[in-house]
Amino acid sequence: MTIEVRGLRKAFTGNEVLRGVELDVAPGEVVGLIGPNGAGKTTLMSCLLGFLHPNAGTITIDGRANDDLDVRRRTGFVPERMNFGRRETGWDFLRYMARLAGVPRAQVDSRSKALLERLGIAQAADRRLSQYSRGMLQRIGMCQALIHEPQFIFLDEPTSGLDPNGVLLVRELIAEQTRRGAAVLLNSHQLAEIEKVCDRVLFLKGGVIAHRETLRHADRIVVAVTLLANSFDAAAVERIAGVAPKENVLIADVATENDIATLVRNLVESGAGVIDVRRHTADLESIFRGAA
Amino acid sequence: MSGVVVAETMRRHLTSIAFWSFLALLAIFAMGGGNMGGGRMWPMLVLALAVVTGGGVIGPEFSSGTLQLILVKPVNRAVYLLSRVAGVVAITWLAAVAAAGFEAAGAALDGRTQWTAIGIALSSSFADSLLIVALLAFFGSVTRAYYNVVIWVGAQLLLLILLAFGARRFPPELLKAIRWVHGNLFPETPSGFDRNWLLLVACNAAIALLLACLAFRNREVPYGAD
Repeated sequence: MTIEVRGLRKAFTGNEVLRGVELDVAPGEVVGLIGPNGAGKTTLMSCLLGFLHPNAGTITIDGRANDDLDVRRRTGFVPERMNFGRRETGWDFLRYMARLAGVPRAQVDSRSKALLERLGIAQAADRRLSQYSRGMLQRIGMCQALIHEPQFIFLDEPTSGLDPNGVLLVRELIAEQTRRGAAVLLNSHQLAEIEKVCDRVLFLKGGVIAHRETLRHADRIVVAVTLLANSFDAAAVERIAGVAPKENVLIADVATENDIATLVRNLVESGAGVIDVRRHTADLESIFRGAA
Repeated sequence: MSGVVVAETMRRHLTSIAFWSFLALLAIFAMGGGNMGGGRMWPMLVLALAVVTGGGVIGPEFSSGTLQLILVKPVNRAVYLLSRVAGVVAITWLAAVAAAGFEAAGAALDGRTQWTAIGIALSSSFADSLLIVALLAFFGSVTRAYYNVVIWVGAQLLLLILLAFGARRFPPELLKAIRWVHGNLFPETPSGFDRNWLLLVACNAAIALLLACLAFRNREVPYGAD
């Protein structure tokens, strides 16, 4: 496991906020962190990043302590709100962050330029950060977090203040990071975003991980096939899919996307009317309501 | 020491209009002050600069949340703190050298030479500003934005009040202890070159920086610290 947390406890003046958190994030995986206000998400994130010192428990990243400089060299972080010297220009800020992160001097400008262009704020690079909108600050926050191609990425509400294009861009960037093997921990209140981006979701409540849900499996695809009512024989559908439909919805596991086509073809050939086929994910809203 | 942090700290000051305006003011005082005997006017301004720049070594970054972006980078906390201090001290010393240069130029134009007096003022300014920045870094490592300046000013006033008030009321040992603390934290600048004084200031600054590093290493930096 890349990011490993065991028995993490943190209290503030007698008020225990984290009460034994356990979590793992593997390379190439995006794990979402959700929970009601005051659940301890920010405290957990702060402990993981070394801003707060836990009272008990261990945090290891790639087998090392989270404040190990080699770990830091491979860590990226986007805070919910970007705060930096507002007199600084975007360029100055990004160059400084890149140099601090250990990007070789010769590559600082080219990487900065590429990321600023990618995030759509290259034209504002010479402007002071005080003139940046909330969304632009968020975008430059993503730039500084990714400029050194980190392996461990911590995102705290990365899409807050972003327009729909920005949200899509962040989604793409996260997907790119996981494709190159980065482990991503995403703290967000936007359940729809979590559903779209994350492989797993952890529900933090009362200082512990109260619920874990796998949204995407590495070795299989879960599909939901909605069948036309009264058009199918439940026993025949069960023989084809291996599971019986519930009411008129069939939730089935397949290995590949080609298998989805085969499943649908077999269902249609058996006489079942197929209305809709989509990737099945847990209904986070229901889970959130139920667990909260 | 992190060259990146030192360079960035210096760059921020050197690109600030306020810094250059201050240098212009310093030039006026330094050139005009030559008539009053070497190094009389500008050292006070250099110390004021040390207070203003030293006040912002860590506190504002802690309060604004900027520090979180820095602390996830591969820079040791103590190295970061010392590098910030080095950048601020370098800027203050640069101002002191400029002031000494302006005074020397003013005196030369006037047909006078007061190299010794200027040299003593320069070395005293170096030592004084180093101690001020080190103390502010220490106070800043345990407090929030600019509280360090308040503590620094408050401690001076408190010690002076205690010395004045306690002159006839406090037992001699207590008075001696207060004088010792005052003499170490806020040593009076000698009029001539005093190697022992320079050593005392350098040692005290080193202790302040050591304490600052220890405090900052263990300090928690929660989100939205203020």
